[in-house]
Formats: sequence, structure tokens, C-alpha cells
Amino acid sequence: MNFLTVGARAIELDKDGFLVDLSDWSAEVASALAAAEDIELTPEHWEVLELLRSFYAEFQLSPATRPLIKYTALKLGADKGNSLHLNRLFKGTPAKLAAKLAGLPKPTNCL
Amino acid sequence: MPKSVLIISRQSPWSGPGAREALDIVLAGGAFDLPIGLLFLDDGVLQLAAGQNAKALQQKDLSANLQALPMFGVEELFYCAESANARGLGKRSLDEAEPLSAEHITALIDRYDQVITL
Amino acid sequence: MSTLHVLSHSPFGDDRLSSCLRLIGSADALLLCGDAVYALQPDSAPFFALQDRTIKVFVLDEDAQARAIDIPDWAEAVDYPAFVELSIHHDKVNSWL
Repeated sequence: MNFLTVGARAIELDKDGFLVDLSDWSAEVASALAAAEDIELTPEHWEVLELLRSFYAEFQLSPATRPLIKYTALKLGADKGNSLHLNRLFKGTPAKLAAKLAGLPKPTNCL
Repeated sequence: MPKSVLIISRQSPWSGPGAREALDIVLAGGAFDLPIGLLFLDDGVLQLAAGQNAKALQQKDLSANLQALPMFGVEELFYCAESANARGLGKRSLDEAEPLSAEHITALIDRYDQVITL
Repeated sequence: MSTLHVLSHSPFGDDRLSSCLRLIGSADALLLCGDAVYALQPDSAPFFALQDRTIKVFVLDEDAQARAIDIPDWAEAVDYPAFVELSIHHDKVNSWL
């Protein structure tokens, strides 16, 4: 079993590093998950993570890459909703990595 | 040019895996940018009923997932008008889905390269 | 464009046959296999529904024989090689799973 230590809490992760219990998520947890991936969260990261959380709240699923880009373009404009920007922020795998940091389940349609 | 695929979803939403499987094929196809369409037929139209509550059965929220289809690039969404009328389907979710008569469904099936009925 | 519609479920349990007959095009054909051959049960509602239509109906012979179903003159018995031929001959196959 994987654990992520945040303050005094040990938070359970699955084998791919996603939260087992989605309600464990908090801003501190996101920062700790990001640190484990050598990412320091900037405001640009946070706006994508918040977007992903609203995508999940609305549709109850994690977006694959294309829908993530489409949704980001819709909500934040085309200069942010493109693969270049998202790849740069999330090490080339935005759908998977951003979902992980946002506390969403692993996208099932990322085949 | 990849082949176009029409998925015909004709199972009710909560009684078995059919409705979920049909949606998963469509979402996967959409994620790969395949030209894909989805038609709700027979009991499948019941997937479109507004106000369903997945939590009551502790299942994944199929109705919420359906709303994501346009985000996944699936914009060809249809339902059989006759099936909907026969089942008294009133308020619907998924405004994007368009009602079709039997003749229009015949023409729709003709238009796609492949058809999968679940 | 022509479609071969393949039915394998009993017509007495659900809507597949009736929906298929509603949607089938004039260039299409219908193949009955498995329990769908019960649609040819004489004097049954599905039998009359099929008889009244001018569409091409094929029946997998072995499934009909096993179920003691006689094939009427307006339908055509096929074996598996002929089933394959039909699948190739049509632009696509729609199996009503």
C-alpha cells in the first residue's frame, strides 16, 4: 500500500499514486502530490486543477486529453486550452497527471 | 479517414451493464477523435430521463457521464422519437440529443460505415 | 448502402425484432439465428409481422432444425458459409446484441 504523508496524516494512494478516497483531497494534499512529481504548483496549475474538479463535479468522470483541452479552452480561453500549455504544466501527460493532483480518479478513457 | 461508427444503445440505465458499455465505447471513440454517433433506441431512451439519482443505487452516475459527450467531441446524438413516446419520456437531460422518426433512423444507419447495437 | 441485420434473441421476450422491422431499409436483409428463429413459429405474431413485409429474410438452417422450426417459402435457409457470404455481400452487419 502507498501512502502520502501530509502533516500528521498518512493518506492512502493506489498503485499509480491516485487518491484511494477522493474526499482526502485538499490544497495541501495537492501540493504534496505535486511535490512527489517534482512540480511546484503555480496559479496556472491551480486554475487547471480547479477546472478539473468542476469537470468532475459536473460529469462524474475524469476527462481524457481531448475533452480536457476542449473544456479548458471553453472556460479559460484558447491560449490556455491547448496541448502546448497543458503539456508544459503537467509534464506532457496533462489528463493523467492533472487528474491525479486534482484528486480525481484515473481517466478510464486514456487508453 | 477513419471509419465512422454508430452505437445504438437500447438497454435501460440501471438494470445491467449494457448502457454503461455502450457509453464507454462512445467515450473511447470520442477520445480518439473517431467520427462516432450515438442513438438511443427502445429502453435505451430511458437513459435520458431527467432527475435520475445514481446515488440511490450507489452506482456511477450514467446521466452525468452522458452530459460529457459533447466535451468528448461526440455531437451526433439522437434518440428514437417513437421509443420515447411509447415510454412516456417527459423531461429529458442531454438537450443535444435529437429525436428521429423511423425513416430518419434508417437513413442514419445507412450513413455510417459500422453499426454496433448493444 | 445495405445492412444485414442479425437477430439472435427470441422475439417473444423483447423489442429487438419489432424495432428492427421498424428501422430496416428496403435494400437491407434480416438474418435470424439462435432463438430468433422462433420468429418463424407458425401462427405467431412475429411470423405474421415478417410475412407481411417484403424484406429478405434468411434463417440459419441448423438453428431452425434444432428448434423444429419449418422455414416458410418466403424465407431462405442458409448455412454458416452462406452466412459469411451474406456478411461480405452487405456493406455492414448490425448484430442486435
